[in-house]
Amino acid sequence: MTGTNAQNVTTYYISEKVSQVRWLPELQQQSDRFVTGSWDIAKNYVRLWRLQQNPYVNQNVPIVPCCHDKVSMEDDVTGMEFVDKNTLAVGCGDGHLSVLKVQRAVEKDQIQRKARSELLHYFKSANTSRSASCTGVATFGTDIATVGDDGRLNVVNADNLQQVKRTIEADSVSLFAVVYANHQEIFTANGMGVVRMFDARASNEAQPNIAFVVGCQDEKNFNGVSCMTTHPMQKHILLCGSEEGSISVYDLRNLRYPASYLGAHNSRITDIAFHPKDPTKLFTAAESGEVWLWSEQKSLINASEEQEDYCAWLCGERVSDLVKVKGVLSNVCKPINSIDVHGMRLVCGSDAEIVFLADNV
Amino acid sequence: MDIETVPTFELGDILATRCGNTLTGKFLTNSKIALIAYTHKNTNAFANCEQPSKDGVEDPVLIYIAQETTIYEEPLLRSLLSEANTTFNTLRKLGKNASKTEYINVSQAYRSIVRSCLEKLEQMKTTPKLQVDEAELRCSSEAITTFYAVECLWHLFEILYVQEQHNQMILAQLLKWTRFHFPQTEAHATDLLLMAEDASDRDDYWEILKTLIMLGEVSVTAAILTQNRKAGRDEFQEAISILKAMPVFEDGYALQKFRSQWEYWHVNGEHKLDANAFAAEPELELLMQLVVGKNEQWDEALCKSKEWYEYLPGYLLYTNPTCKPFDLRIAATAWLNRWSRLRPEWQMKTMSRMIKHLMAHDIKLFLFEMQQLNESNWFATHLIDLIYQSGQLNSYCEQRKIDLKSLRNSTVYNFGSFLMTSHKLWQLGIDYLDCCGEEGIAAINILLPRIPFKTERLALKLIAMARQRNLFEVEPEICKVLFKRSYDEERHGSALEWVIRSKDATVVTAMADFILKNYSKTGIFVCPDVITNIGARMFIAPRLVFLCKYFEFNELYRKRDFSSATKLLVNLLDSKITPSYFWPTLFIESIPLLESKEPMLTSKETVTILHHLETNLLPLIEQNMLETAIFPNLSSTVELKDYRIENVDEMVSVLRYACARNYSRTILKENTA
Repeated sequence: MTGTNAQNVTTYYISEKVSQVRWLPELQQQSDRFVTGSWDIAKNYVRLWRLQQNPYVNQNVPIVPCCHDKVSMEDDVTGMEFVDKNTLAVGCGDGHLSVLKVQRAVEKDQIQRKARSELLHYFKSANTSRSASCTGVATFGTDIATVGDDGRLNVVNADNLQQVKRTIEADSVSLFAVVYANHQEIFTANGMGVVRMFDARASNEAQPNIAFVVGCQDEKNFNGVSCMTTHPMQKHILLCGSEEGSISVYDLRNLRYPASYLGAHNSRITDIAFHPKDPTKLFTAAESGEVWLWSEQKSLINASEEQEDYCAWLCGERVSDLVKVKGVLSNVCKPINSIDVHGMRLVCGSDAEIVFLADNV
Repeated sequence: MDIETVPTFELGDILATRCGNTLTGKFLTNSKIALIAYTHKNTNAFANCEQPSKDGVEDPVLIYIAQETTIYEEPLLRSLLSEANTTFNTLRKLGKNASKTEYINVSQAYRSIVRSCLEKLEQMKTTPKLQVDEAELRCSSEAITTFYAVECLWHLFEILYVQEQHNQMILAQLLKWTRFHFPQTEAHATDLLLMAEDASDRDDYWEILKTLIMLGEVSVTAAILTQNRKAGRDEFQEAISILKAMPVFEDGYALQKFRSQWEYWHVNGEHKLDANAFAAEPELELLMQLVVGKNEQWDEALCKSKEWYEYLPGYLLYTNPTCKPFDLRIAATAWLNRWSRLRPEWQMKTMSRMIKHLMAHDIKLFLFEMQQLNESNWFATHLIDLIYQSGQLNSYCEQRKIDLKSLRNSTVYNFGSFLMTSHKLWQLGIDYLDCCGEEGIAAINILLPRIPFKTERLALKLIAMARQRNLFEVEPEICKVLFKRSYDEERHGSALEWVIRSKDATVVTAMADFILKNYSKTGIFVCPDVITNIGARMFIAPRLVFLCKYFEFNELYRKRDFSSATKLLVNLLDSKITPSYFWPTLFIESIPLLESKEPMLTSKETVTILHHLETNLLPLIEQNMLETAIFPNLSSTVELKDYRIENVDEMVSVLRYACARNYSRTILKENTA
């Protein structure tokens, strides 16, 4: 019944507000398993789903997701990333990080918690001491970076959660997003629109002081950065989705000014992701219940510009000519919180307690 | 739940028992009530008493929180709420001018939501976990009963009032409805068909066939009869041919022609019975008597049925097959009278009564009873909304003076505020409150900031929702809560961010004051990274502008960009926004610049400093002295302190000397050049 633009979008009610969705990594084939994390309900779970033949005879919907297993979490699931094929890092609203292991099977897949970190995010002062929400998770190799409402950036190894490799007092306000640019450089973003760079190898005191503020339309309001991603092939290209719905693109080799700035949605961009195999495609999800697909128009690119490090996203004001926007999902009425794309399929999790699957994207 | 029964509870702790088990309560947020033992004491009696009563002293005072329980605590029922919410939104978008088919689709969508939920509940009932957990089993059984009734009523409503029947022929639909809601007979029939010939030996063979006939399953009965061992006999052949010959109304028939055909079939059947064609097989004869609608036999069979409406459509099939809604009204009343005459001890339950209202076209009573059901008005809200949007019952409502619009708005409002205040369902609730007039918007305005938020992400979501609806009061309120929370926990960066987001000049000023005073005392800025990035947002309050500019001066000074720093400092002195407590700090900053080897300040600027020293700082010092002279115990209203000085007077004299020196060397230089 939900309004969708494309014919190829199917909806599944799962009776949980979905904060995170991720496909299980598959190298050779189309992934048919995904995980969801829930938030803001009495009991929150990480669930493992598998797409299966519809048990009911229904020609319109040949495959449906079936929940194979679940892990009960202590609080909202706020971040989820795969470390490797079967290892999932889960950031939780109680300030802890957990590592979950997936066991694939022919009949019934399983997911289990393997480890839970010490309290990584917390508020501490003379008169209070309480946990702070972890707000984002990023992975690189076996390293996991977490950020939280307390402004801390932690780096831990997936194999040993008990030992925190690095704790950086990154910010004095809440952090909302974290992303790895390479194995050592980590970018964090906060609610004031400030993006900072940190070095995972340097100590808390010796951090480089590199920061920039994303652009905004309304100078009177803060334009917080709500999500970030890097280009899957050209890691020096950083895209930031913001509270006002715009996208700022930065070339990390030149941080003095943004490479491009695009007005996009008219509400907070909740998630932003390149297609991992086809970086000409970018997906954005917004609080107002939209998912857009941005595709680079190859035909419009001049042969002279076809250099090795050419990318349409760096073309400043010309980006809007070089990239075509298409709505994948609209009229959902409730925020889309997370998207993930693998092969031909896109999965979206929403506050409408629905998981959307879009085929042939 | 009946309206007559009012739920009661008592505390029963020691304190409450002692004072006569009376209590008092207070409403908290989220429809909670805090309860404590209470006994009324007359104030006069209290005054006369020399000692206070001992009641409250010896026993602990326990505070109880009472909260409304709803069936939605069962997680499976959550899907009912969220899916219905989507359908509700779809209907809202369709509005009042959609086509009939679209309204029927919506109605069916609602019903399928209930059905799939019932299916899930039934499945869950059989899981081993529930077999042990009695409370949960009871809870889910209750949910099943309630929503089963909802589906049954909605289905009937859809047949009678939403669907457009061709020629208003409703009987076929009604038969389907009874069959769906009394499914046991159909299951038995399948058994019989599978057993083929052997079925004839079953003890309940004729009982099942009778029920099938009474539910109007004519062709199935015929099929079972043909499998009977004695099927070859004349009696059976005759019965089967009568059953098979029964005319069934189909679309496109001329009504008159059908009636005459049916009359012919009916009379033929009666003739056969009168001629004792089935006398050799009494059971079969009874069956055929039912088919021709013999009242005696029907009465007998009715005594065994469970609900009054179970066999009504079947009876109509054999007596009035072209029954229209108007006929149904009369038939239903007559049928009910007959039923109660047959079973005088029978008591009507809510659901049976509501079905009667629907059949008798008593929508008003139906709507009334619907709102008494114990499911927090899920049913009433969605059905009344559908009635309102589709406009199906407009003329009826006008006749009966029902203000459908207000009725719809008030149920939607109640349901919306129920969701907004319970079980983290606020995102669903807000959609309902959005579309029930001004009251709804006002309720959102009040309830939205009261949704408990732990994380900033949730707070930002709430703010976005408020902005979408142009509710400008919500955002500052939420921001100030976060400000207070951060401030109390000494997270000053966060506090500053949220106070700026709140755009409340008074609080912003207070926060800026805190940071500036803290700097004067310690020489440390609490959250330099935030102050750096305030940017254009500083213009909310002059104090914040001052803070940002002073911070900028500090940064310039730290970077040894003295010429820019000096300009900024003089600007600040001249700005008229310097808070009085900050004058000493500002003047101290100028001393090293005045005393530097290379002169930084021009003679004019030096005069400016001196001017402000005389006109701003000195009156303050004098006032302070006056106040301390009058009230020596009180500290002065304006604290003139800086971590670098012990005595303000000393600083004043140092500054005067510095100014004089700088003035003398610059004036010379400026005039000689």
